[in-house]
Amino acid sequence: MILSEEKLREVAVTAINELGTKATPELVKNIIEKSLEKIEGAAKETKQTQNSGRVILTAFGINQPGVVSSISQSLSDANCDILDISQKIMQEFFTMIMMIDITNSPKSLKDIQDDMNKISESLKVKIYLQHEDLFKNMYRI
Amino acid sequence: MPYEFDEIVETIRMTEVEHFDIRTVTLGINLRDCADRNVYVTKQKIYDKIMKYGESHVKFANEVENKYGVAIANKRISVTPISNVGDSFQADEFVEIAKTLDKAAIEMGIDYIAGYSALVQKGFTKGEYQLVKSIPAALSETKRVCSSVNVGSTKSGINIDAVNMVSEVIKETAERTKENDSIGCAKLVVFCNAVEDNPFVAGAFHGVSEPEVVLNVGISGPGVVLYAIKEAGAVSMQQLAEVIKKTVFKITRAGELIGRKVAERHNVPFGIVDISLAPTPAPGDSIADILQAMGVEYVGAPGTTAALAMLNDCVKKAGLMASSSVGGMSGAFIPVSEDAGMIYAAEKGYLSLEKLEAMTAVCSVGLDMIAIPGDTPATTIAGIIADESAIGMINDKTTAVRVIPAYGKKVGDYVDYGGLLGKAPIMRVRELRCDNFVLRGGRIPAPMRSLTN
Repeated sequence: MILSEEKLREVAVTAINELGTKATPELVKNIIEKSLEKIEGAAKETKQTQNSGRVILTAFGINQPGVVSSISQSLSDANCDILDISQKIMQEFFTMIMMIDITNSPKSLKDIQDDMNKISESLKVKIYLQHEDLFKNMYRI
Repeated sequence: MPYEFDEIVETIRMTEVEHFDIRTVTLGINLRDCADRNVYVTKQKIYDKIMKYGESHVKFANEVENKYGVAIANKRISVTPISNVGDSFQADEFVEIAKTLDKAAIEMGIDYIAGYSALVQKGFTKGEYQLVKSIPAALSETKRVCSSVNVGSTKSGINIDAVNMVSEVIKETAERTKENDSIGCAKLVVFCNAVEDNPFVAGAFHGVSEPEVVLNVGISGPGVVLYAIKEAGAVSMQQLAEVIKKTVFKITRAGELIGRKVAERHNVPFGIVDISLAPTPAPGDSIADILQAMGVEYVGAPGTTAALAMLNDCVKKAGLMASSSVGGMSGAFIPVSEDAGMIYAAEKGYLSLEKLEAMTAVCSVGLDMIAIPGDTPATTIAGIIADESAIGMINDKTTAVRVIPAYGKKVGDYVDYGGLLGKAPIMRVRELRCDNFVLRGGRIPAPMRSLTN
């Protein structure tokens, strides 16, 4: 976690106010650690409420064996949870939409997108990953 | 699945095929606390402050772009009108500040920084006069700085002295940048009723009533609207309005989401979403194409103004429903050089300056990116600016003039900038003179409409 300049000032001011003239290196260390814990806790909380890890994955391309399995294998390697899957084949075109949850994945969305780009190149299908919020905002009021 | 198959496919089509993108995320930064009577101190303060807030602007925007799969075409910065920051400076000192802004823009990796501006609708302060005087030097000695001057408003009338001065400034800027098709003029906007939270460069600035730092977003998406209209086929006007509104609603929602997320990363307040349809020279990303899809043969045909009025109104209505933070210009832009359909109509002679002027009465902004002959007299340019400002003043709307009197060029020639600025044929300007009118000087008094209290 990176602390902004304002936060750093806040921490310093808290220490000054609480310790006044009694400051020893030991006490300063304690009080700063306590403030940092508080900030970290607050950050964690907001992160949990704000960001659901649900991502919509869409794949398009010429139908061929192994598309679904390559994508889902890669997702399972990254410890992503597949919540829903829907697939259609129109003439020879294959379309698949998955809703996945990446909350428990050690990888970031960017890393998973990079993995998908590799599959996309080798299988000649297009794969898009977009956070669920985009669809929620556009289609749900 | 909480979302329909068609909804998801539609979104992908919008972003991948129809060029739906966020035209700009613009970080507005207050620089009023950078004022100092020493120009070197002011420069250092300005540089430090812009870098402090803007350093990660491009990085944050790229992260959001990847997360939602919606491209953000431009990342830009707007600042407090520089005339407010350095009211005690002389013209050459203002040019030094422009160079500082340019340097900051280069370091941040952004293409334009806007706010080299002065608001002089009622009169000049000493600093504002010096800043306007310095514009030709500032725009010819920097690459990324954009400038604007507000010369009129509904509340205070039109400052004709400022109009005359700006017209000379435009001519001089054109001459100083003649090596590059007078590109300096593409970075200079003359406004009536300028808005304080406009995210679109070149006319952006961080208004005096804005907070310390704010993030505004401008959406785009003529291609998406074009597709929807084509898909709708031969329907009645009301049905057509419905189609446009539905489409714009969705892209506004997406735009606001992107803006809020970038603001969240910056840890600054989100300002407004500007729901303007802004074209680019890319095929299909054109307002002219929309008007043609609505049924006029080419832009400039009778019916064009009505079609544009309806389009503009639908965009506003849908945007207003979609977001509670609508602001800026919010309408349809009709820059000539940045829109393939407009370029074609101008080349063919379907589109005249006079028709464009009529169109600006019903859409956002005004005579935008129009190249005119290099020998157009300054007083004629002043007449064009006064006309356009009058439309803005009387109709209580923003109008702007961004004309390029391309040095040494005449009707039939082209200016070509490439990229987003595009290319434009030199358009004919009437040779009738208005010297005796504009050279009276003074100020056109505020209209009846200003007395609303």
